[in-house]
Amino acid sequence: MSETHIREDEFPHGVHRLREEQKKVVSGCEEQIQHWTKVEADYSSLQERLRTLPDKLSYDIMVPFGPLAFMPGKLVHTNEVTVLLGDNWFAKCSAKQAVGLAEHRKSHVRKTLDDLGKVAENFEARVGFTEDLRKYSGGGKGNYVDIREEVRDGEETLTKGKRRLAHKPNSMPRVESVLELPEEEEEEEEEAGGGAGGRRGVLSEEELWARLDQLQAQEDQLDDEDRASDGAEVNGEDATSSSSSEEEKDGEAGRLTNGLHSDEGWPSESRPSESRAELQPLPPQAHGAGLPNLLQEEEEEEEEDGEGGVPTIYFSHTMEPKKVRINTGRNTMLKFSERKEEAKRKKKNGSHHGNGHGHSHHELHKIKSPADFYRVFVDVVNGELVPRKSILKSRSRENSVCSDTSESSAADFEERRGLGRSLSHDEGTHSDTSEGILEEESPTGPRAPHLPFHYEAFSGTVVEKDPGMPTSIPHLTICAPALPTIPERKCEDPAPDGPQGPPKRVSKFKASRAKATM
Amino acid sequence: MASKCHQAMEDNTQRETALKEELNKKVKEQKIVVDELSNLKKNRRVYVQQSNSNIFFLAEKGETLNACKKSLDRMKKDYQDM
Repeated sequence: MSETHIREDEFPHGVHRLREEQKKVVSGCEEQIQHWTKVEADYSSLQERLRTLPDKLSYDIMVPFGPLAFMPGKLVHTNEVTVLLGDNWFAKCSAKQAVGLAEHRKSHVRKTLDDLGKVAENFEARVGFTEDLRKYSGGGKGNYVDIREEVRDGEETLTKGKRRLAHKPNSMPRVESVLELPEEEEEEEEEAGGGAGGRRGVLSEEELWARLDQLQAQEDQLDDEDRASDGAEVNGEDATSSSSSEEEKDGEAGRLTNGLHSDEGWPSESRPSESRAELQPLPPQAHGAGLPNLLQEEEEEEEEDGEGGVPTIYFSHTMEPKKVRINTGRNTMLKFSERKEEAKRKKKNGSHHGNGHGHSHHELHKIKSPADFYRVFVDVVNGELVPRKSILKSRSRENSVCSDTSESSAADFEERRGLGRSLSHDEGTHSDTSEGILEEESPTGPRAPHLPFHYEAFSGTVVEKDPGMPTSIPHLTICAPALPTIPERKCEDPAPDGPQGPPKRVSKFKASRAKATM
Repeated sequence: MASKCHQAMEDNTQRETALKEELNKKVKEQKIVVDELSNLKKNRRVYVQQSNSNIFFLAEKGETLNACKKSLDRMKKDYQDM
């Protein structure tokens, strides 16, 4: 009962409001109808006037002079009418045509009137229906009942809970995947730690471990082999060469390259020796011009590096800690090589021979290490083989180095080298000189010992001066040792000291450049 | 229900009364027009305004008087009907 009472109270209000709105619409329609009715009447009167207008030639009329003033006048040309078409456009026509236009407009007015009449009727009917609705629902007779469905809050929460349950199945797979992934990662990590490329997935843990062990063993084997090849050369001179950063670098590079290409390096030796010979001749010349002491030291360092015998790329700019090992070994090798060289021709020559062994290692047609590029890609300049310059490397330095080496007489260099070697390759001096020379040394070092190609590469740019140096194997062997060491020294000192007369291949400009670079 | 019906009745009556008043006013005006026209001198000229315009056409006094009388009678009838 209470609900019904509330409805009665609420419902009448809604119905009343609805009825009011409907009445407003009806009244609006009636007003519109009256307006349009008046318009239609006006058109009708106009038509009547137009029909009778041509009946007379002229009419006496009061001519409006503004809204309030009039003056007597005559209406002539009774059959000529200007009709406003709209938007300030007018058409001149006869009275009869004007009647037609008026009729046409009346038709529109009638149509509007009809529409308005229909709307009014419709809303009047609605008003009646609203009255009936009020009677039925609000009357309280009880014959009619509303169909209602109440929504409870509890039901909504229940539905939410069900939906969550539906999502659970999907979540399960996610969890599994998450768990699995970590395991795989661990395996990978383990494999990586072992050093062997990890193969995941199918293998079980035991299998994986076995695989890892296997790979580890392989790695160890390879390392041992590499070390064995490199170590022989390097071990002897460790103590001496450790001080010089350049040597260290060279040694490292040599190791790496050796490890990779040890097998190939040997076969290629013949070629490297040739290249050395070509390159070497130049350095000796440079030696003549350069400072003996510094040159000797440098030479020693270079020789040591060369002895490493590993195809190495020497970067004079950077210092690498790893070099120490290799350098020492190389240094020793270089010493031996130097002695050999001396024995053969001059000290330089001997060193070159020692280096030559290393070179042989390096010479490999195949490109397995960056150093190989210098072997394979060689330009012939003035009859000499000159390694192509790297695009990335500043040519000014290379040129300077090369020029220096070429300038200094091979003989001078050799002598100096011999002195340096006799001095027992002062490590301290090497280090000191190396700082200044480091850049140059690195290139030279490789040439003399094991990396003729490297040497060529660096010195190659310089070589231009020595057209005669061409690739004769004997020359190569002899010259190679001198060249590596000499060029560096020359670059550093020769320019300031003034290049020696004989070679003079290096221009003063180059020498100045070299100084500047130093 | 009673209130609603009463409201509707009131609305109708109000509308009717408004119309009646308006019509009554027109009737009075028309009476005045007829009186004026009937009392005009013979030589006076009478102009009739064209509907929805500002132009006045010269008309004959007698005809205009008759037309006004007719319209007055019609209005009186309507007013009485209401």
